[in-house]
Amino acid sequence: MENSTQESHLRPDNSITYESPYPLYSMALSSMPSRSNLNHQRIAVGSFIEDYTNRVDIFSFDPETVSIKTQPTLSFDHPYPPTKLMFQPNRKSPSSSSSDLLATSGDYLRLWEVRESSVEPLSVLNNSKTSEFCAPLTSFDWNDVEPKRIGTSSIDTTCTIWDIEKGVVETQLIAHDKEVYDIAWGEARVFASVSADGSVRIFDLRDKEHSTIIYESPQPDTPLLRLAWNKQDLRYMATILMDSNKIVILDIRSPTMPVAELERHRASVNAIAWAPQSSRHICSAGDDAQALIWELPTVAGPNGIDPLSMYSAGSEINQLQWSASQPDWIAIAFSNKMQLLKV
Amino acid sequence: MGLESAGGFFGKSLNGFYFNGAIKENSKLRGQKVLIPLIWGIAMDELVFGAYTPQDEADRKLRVVVRRPLVARLTKDIIETYQICNPQFKYSEELNPKRFLTSPSVGVLNDGYDNVNSDLILTVNFVLINLETQRRYIVKDVLGHGTFGQVAKCWVPETGSFVAVKIIKNQPAYYQQALVEVSILTTLNKKYDPEDKHHIVRIYDYFVYQRHLCICFELLDTNLYELIKINHFRGLSLSIVQLFSKQILRGLALLKDAGIIHCDLKPENILLCTSVKPAEIKIIDFGSACMEDRTVYSYIQSRYYRSPEVLLGYQYTTAIDMWSFGCIVAELFLGLPLFPGASEFDLLRRMIEILGGQPPDYVLKEAKNTSKFFKCIGSIHNVENGEVSIGSRSTYQALTEEEYEARELKKPLIGKEYFNHKNLEAIVTNYPYRKNLPKEDVIKESQIRLALIDFLRGLVEFDPAKRWSPFQASKHPFVTGEPFTSPYRPPPETPRLPVAQNIKVDHHPGGGHWFAAGLSPNIPNRNRVSYHNSPHFPMVPYGHANSYGSIGSHGSYNDNAGLGSSYGSYGDSSNMFAYYSPVGPSAMNMHPQAGASMLGSSPDARRRIMQYSHGNGLGVSPSAGNFAPLPLGTSPSQFTPPSSYSQVSGGSPGHYGPTSPARNSCQGSPLSKMAAAGQFNRRKSWGYSGSSQSLEGPSSSNWQGPVTDGTTSSQAEGSSQVASGLPSHIHSNSNTANWKQQRGSVGMVTGYSNIQNMPSSIGSNVQLQHSAGVSQDKSESSMSLPDPGDWDPNYSDELLLQEDGSDESCITTEFNRGLHIGSADSSVGVGRFNRASATSSNLSIQRQNGPIGFSHAEVGSPPSANDPHPGYPRFMSKHSHFTSHMTQNSPSRLGQQMAPRYNHGRSTVARGSEWNHMKVQLPPSNFNSGGPRSPGNSSFSNGIPWGRRVNHPVSNIPPASRGRKDYGRIA
Repeated sequence: MENSTQESHLRPDNSITYESPYPLYSMALSSMPSRSNLNHQRIAVGSFIEDYTNRVDIFSFDPETVSIKTQPTLSFDHPYPPTKLMFQPNRKSPSSSSSDLLATSGDYLRLWEVRESSVEPLSVLNNSKTSEFCAPLTSFDWNDVEPKRIGTSSIDTTCTIWDIEKGVVETQLIAHDKEVYDIAWGEARVFASVSADGSVRIFDLRDKEHSTIIYESPQPDTPLLRLAWNKQDLRYMATILMDSNKIVILDIRSPTMPVAELERHRASVNAIAWAPQSSRHICSAGDDAQALIWELPTVAGPNGIDPLSMYSAGSEINQLQWSASQPDWIAIAFSNKMQLLKV
Repeated sequence: MGLESAGGFFGKSLNGFYFNGAIKENSKLRGQKVLIPLIWGIAMDELVFGAYTPQDEADRKLRVVVRRPLVARLTKDIIETYQICNPQFKYSEELNPKRFLTSPSVGVLNDGYDNVNSDLILTVNFVLINLETQRRYIVKDVLGHGTFGQVAKCWVPETGSFVAVKIIKNQPAYYQQALVEVSILTTLNKKYDPEDKHHIVRIYDYFVYQRHLCICFELLDTNLYELIKINHFRGLSLSIVQLFSKQILRGLALLKDAGIIHCDLKPENILLCTSVKPAEIKIIDFGSACMEDRTVYSYIQSRYYRSPEVLLGYQYTTAIDMWSFGCIVAELFLGLPLFPGASEFDLLRRMIEILGGQPPDYVLKEAKNTSKFFKCIGSIHNVENGEVSIGSRSTYQALTEEEYEARELKKPLIGKEYFNHKNLEAIVTNYPYRKNLPKEDVIKESQIRLALIDFLRGLVEFDPAKRWSPFQASKHPFVTGEPFTSPYRPPPETPRLPVAQNIKVDHHPGGGHWFAAGLSPNIPNRNRVSYHNSPHFPMVPYGHANSYGSIGSHGSYNDNAGLGSSYGSYGDSSNMFAYYSPVGPSAMNMHPQAGASMLGSSPDARRRIMQYSHGNGLGVSPSAGNFAPLPLGTSPSQFTPPSSYSQVSGGSPGHYGPTSPARNSCQGSPLSKMAAAGQFNRRKSWGYSGSSQSLEGPSSSNWQGPVTDGTTSSQAEGSSQVASGLPSHIHSNSNTANWKQQRGSVGMVTGYSNIQNMPSSIGSNVQLQHSAGVSQDKSESSMSLPDPGDWDPNYSDELLLQEDGSDESCITTEFNRGLHIGSADSSVGVGRFNRASATSSNLSIQRQNGPIGFSHAEVGSPPSANDPHPGYPRFMSKHSHFTSHMTQNSPSRLGQQMAPRYNHGRSTVARGSEWNHMKVQLPPSNFNSGGPRSPGNSSFSNGIPWGRRVNHPVSNIPPASRGRKDYGRIA
C-alpha cells in the first residue's frame, strides 16, 4: 500500500532520489545556493556503516531541473557514523567566499571546508582531557545569528559551546542529569536541549547557573531524542520521545503543558522539521515510513489533530530536512536513499 | 487542553480551521492562501505529499519494531553503536563532569564526604542507601537547605516514585534533634493518624548513611508562601483560605491531642499536596517541635508568627501554634504578613496596634522579657501587695520607641507599614475586593469577612488561655461555612468541672490577686512545676510517660461567658481564683489558686500533673537511650535556647528528663524571689545584676558546690536560681563533664566564663564576640551578661526567619544559639540596626575566628536570580545550590520578596495539571493576577507580559517548572 501511495505521486518534476552505496543517516542542505550556480543547493549525506570508517558525500541539487549532480571529489572519510551534518547557516553573500563550511559530529566536532572540487578538514574540536576515553556527541547546532558559535550535545550530560573561529570552548554546561541528545539555538545566546532525563531545558549563556525546564516527559526518564525550535516563532518547539509515535509541541510560555501532541504516526517518530517559512507547519517522519506535514490548528478537534498531508516512503525514514533556501523542498533519508520531495 | 492553548496562540490565523478527520477539502485549503503559498499554492495532485488518509483499524496498530531506529542507535545506544564500529571505543561515565548540589562542594570533613558545614556533598545521581533494607534513594535535586542540613528530591527505583529526603548534618546536635523529629512524626503518623487524614506530612523511612541521618518524607509541592508569592502577594480567595484553614486545623487538633507543639508554624511550612484531588495542604517541618511538657527552648517560632507569650518569655503551650495559625490565616487573606515585625519590639508594637490591648497582666507579671518591652506603671510596692493602681487597667504599659531606645541605648528596628489601616477590623474590611466582583458577591464576601475577623480575633488573642483551641476554632462559622450572625462563642474545650464554691472573683482587671499570693496565675506548665525542688521530684519518670496526658485539659480555656472551667481541669478546683482578663474584660479566666504550687512546692498541683499519664510514647525516640551529650553551644534546634534552658539544650538527656531548670524568678528561695522583685523595674539582665547577685549569694554558692549536689544550675533571669536538679538527673546525663564545667562557671562572678568554657568549637567564637560585647553593655553592671543582641553584632532574629528556608544561616543561627547559652533572651541587637553592614562585617569576623567555616558568608556575592536582567528574565534555578545563598541576602522577606525560601516540594509551576484542577474548585479570578492572561492557556503562566516578545520571543522565557524563583503567577 505504501508503495502504491508513493508511486502514485512520485514524478520527475516533484521528486528526485539519490541512492548511496551505504545506508544513510545524517543529512544537511546548504543554507544558500552554491556559488557557481545560484540555482544549485549543496547537499551532504553521511553514512551509517557499522565500521570505524564512514563516508560523507556531497552533491548539488538543482530545483529548476530537479536534478542532482554528484561530485565524487567532494566525498570524504569520516570516523564513525556522523550523528549530524550541518552547513554554515546564513552566509550573507555567495561571493564572499568560494567555499562552504560543513560541520560534522560524532566522536568529536569537526569542521570541513567544502571547496569547488575538494573538501579540506579544518579542525577537530575536542574538549576531552583524556585521549583514552571519549564522550560522543549526539548532535550539535550552528548558531545562525552568531555563526562563529556552535553548541554540541554529549552523552556526558553536558552541552559545549564552541567559538569555532578561535577554536576554543566558550563554555561547557552540565545541562542535564543524563545524556544530552539534541540541542537547538533560539537566539544568539539562548539554546535548548533534550536529554535522556526526559526534559527540555532552555539555557541562556548570560546566566549559566539556571535553566528553565520547558517540558518533562510524562514517564520519568523517558528519553527525548530530538528537538526542533521553530525559527519562525520562537515560542514553539517540538520534541519527540524515544519509541513514541508522538510529536510534542511545546509553547515555552506554558512550561510542562504541551500545546499539542501529534499522534498519527504508526511507529516511532524519527525526525521532525519546522517549515522554514511558516510558523504553523511542521513535518515529521518515522519508522512507519511516512512523512507527515502538519498544520497546527487554532482549535483542536475532539479526536486530535490530523496531518495536512502525507507521503509514504519505501521504508523507515531516518532523517528529514526542510530546505531553508528552497522551502518547497523536503529531504528525507531512508535505507540507502536520499529523496527530495516537493511540497 | 493543550490544543485549546494552541488555539489561542494561533488565533491570528485567518479562519480557525478545524481538522476533524480526513481532509477532503483541499480546494478550501488552496483558497486559504495560508502563510506558505509556495507550498500550498500548488494543486494537490502535483505534489508528492498526498492527502492524509487515516488507516483502517487493522493498519492502525503500531508496527513491530524490528530494529532500533537509527536515531536511537546514535543517541540512546550510541556507545554500543560506536563500539560495534570500533571495539576499542571507550567511554567512561566516571569522567562526566559532576553537578554538585551542595555548596561548598569541597570535601573537607568525614573523609571528604562532608563539606565544611558538615553537609554531605551531594551530586546529581548520588545514591543514599538504607543499608538495612538496601533501599536506594537517588538524589536528583536539592529542594532546600537549612540549619539542619539539606533536603533532596530523590528517586526511589524500588517504588518508582520521588520522595523528599532530609539529610541531616553530620553533627551530634543536629543528629539528636532530628531524631526527635523522627520520633514525633513517626508517632503522629502511626499512632495518631494512621489513615493520613490530618494533614501532617508522612514520614516513610529513616536511616544513617555516611554518618548522616537521612529522613524520608513524602514529596509535596509548593508552600503557601510561594503560593502567595505566585499570586503576587495578593490574598487568596476566602474559599481557599477557608479550605486551608480547615485542613490546618485538623492538623493542629491532632498535634494538640498528641501534646505536641510545632513551634514553627508559618506559610513556608505548609505545603500543597497536589498528588491528591482536590488539592490539600500538609504541615511539615517538625524539626523544632517539642512535646508540650518539654518546652525546652524559649527562642522559638519565626518572628512574624511568634506568639506574645514566646516573645515575652512566658511559658507556652500548643496555644502558640494557634497564634501562628491566626497569623497564617490573615496572611493568606491579605497576601502579606499580619505582623511583619522587623524586630521583637516592632512585632509587639504591631500586635498592640492592630489588635488593641496587650498581653494580660498575669503573663506580663511573670514573663522573663516583660521589662524589655513594658514599664510597670504601678509601684513595686503595689505590685507586691496586689494592689491595683487606680485608673489604670494594667500595671504595665508598653514602652514607646523613645523609652525603648532609652533603655536599650539603641533604636528599635521598625519595619514598614503595609496596611493603610491600623486595626484588624479595618484591615480586613477594607482590603480591596477582587476586580469585577458582582455586587451581590461583594455583599456576600463582606459577610464572610466579618466572620473572618471574628475568627482571627479568637486566634490572635493575647491571652493564651483564652485563645481558641483547634477544636474550638474548627467550629467557627468561618470554617464551617455557616452563616455568621453573631460573635462566636466556642464550646468549652473540656467538660466543665463543677466550679467550686470558694471561687474568688477578682473584679479588678490586672488584678493583683496573684500578687497577693506572690504568684502568677498558674498557667499549666508542667516544666515549671516539675522542676521545683520537691521530694516528689525523683518520682518523675524519665520517660515521659508523664508528659502529655493532660491534653485537652490544659489548654483549656474559658469561654467568654465568664466562669470558665479551664485550668480547673486539673487545678485544684476548690481553690480557684477567677479574674478579669485585662485584655478581654468580658472573659474570666480561672486559675487554680495553687499559690504554693507557684512557688514550686505545691505537692497537690505537682502530683496532679504527674498523674496524667498518657502513655502514648511520643517521647520515645527511635533510638531512645541513645542520646549523646550535646556539645554545648550547638543547640540542635534552629532556635536558641535561652540561658535558663541552656544546659538542657536539645538532645541532651535533659530534653527528655525533668531537668529543665525553671525559668522564672519566683522559684527557689524567697531570697531570690525578692531579688526578682527588686529589680523589677530595671532592665532585666542576663545573669546576675549587681544587686541580685548579692541577694543571690546563697544560691550561687550552692551552684558552686560539688556536682553531686545534683543542682542543675542555670541562670534564671532576675537572678533567681533554681536548684531543682536531681541526682538522678545528673546520673542520667552522660554529659556530666560538661555540666560540671558549666556549673562551675556559672558560679563565677564574672558570669562569662561559662560561655568561655563551652566545650564546643563555637565557644571560641562566643568568647571572642562576647568580650567585644562587654563594652557595649553599658547599662548593666559589669557583672551581668549582656544581651546577645548587645554584643553579638551578628545577632539578629532575622535569622529565625530564615532558619528553615534555604537558610544558609545555619551556622550563624547555630552560632547564635551557642551565644544564647547563658543569656536568656533575644533582644534587639546591634545587628538589627544596620542589618546589612553588621551582618557582613560580622561574617567576616566569624570567618576569621570561627573554627567552622562560614560558607554562607558569601553574602551579597551571588547575584540574585531575581535581579532584573536585561531583556531576559531569570529562570528557575535548576542548580539550586547557587540560589541558596540568596537567602543570606534577604534578611527580610518583605524587603526582598523574591528571595527564595525553603521549598520543600516542587514548585507548583511545574504542575500545571494539578493547578488546573485546583482552579476548578476556586474562583479563577482569585488567582488571576490581573495581568494579561496567556491566551487560552489555562495552566500556570507567568506574569511576564507576553507582548514584549514580539521582537525577542525567547527573551521572555517563563519560569521553569521546578523553579525556585517563581515568576509565575496563576493565570
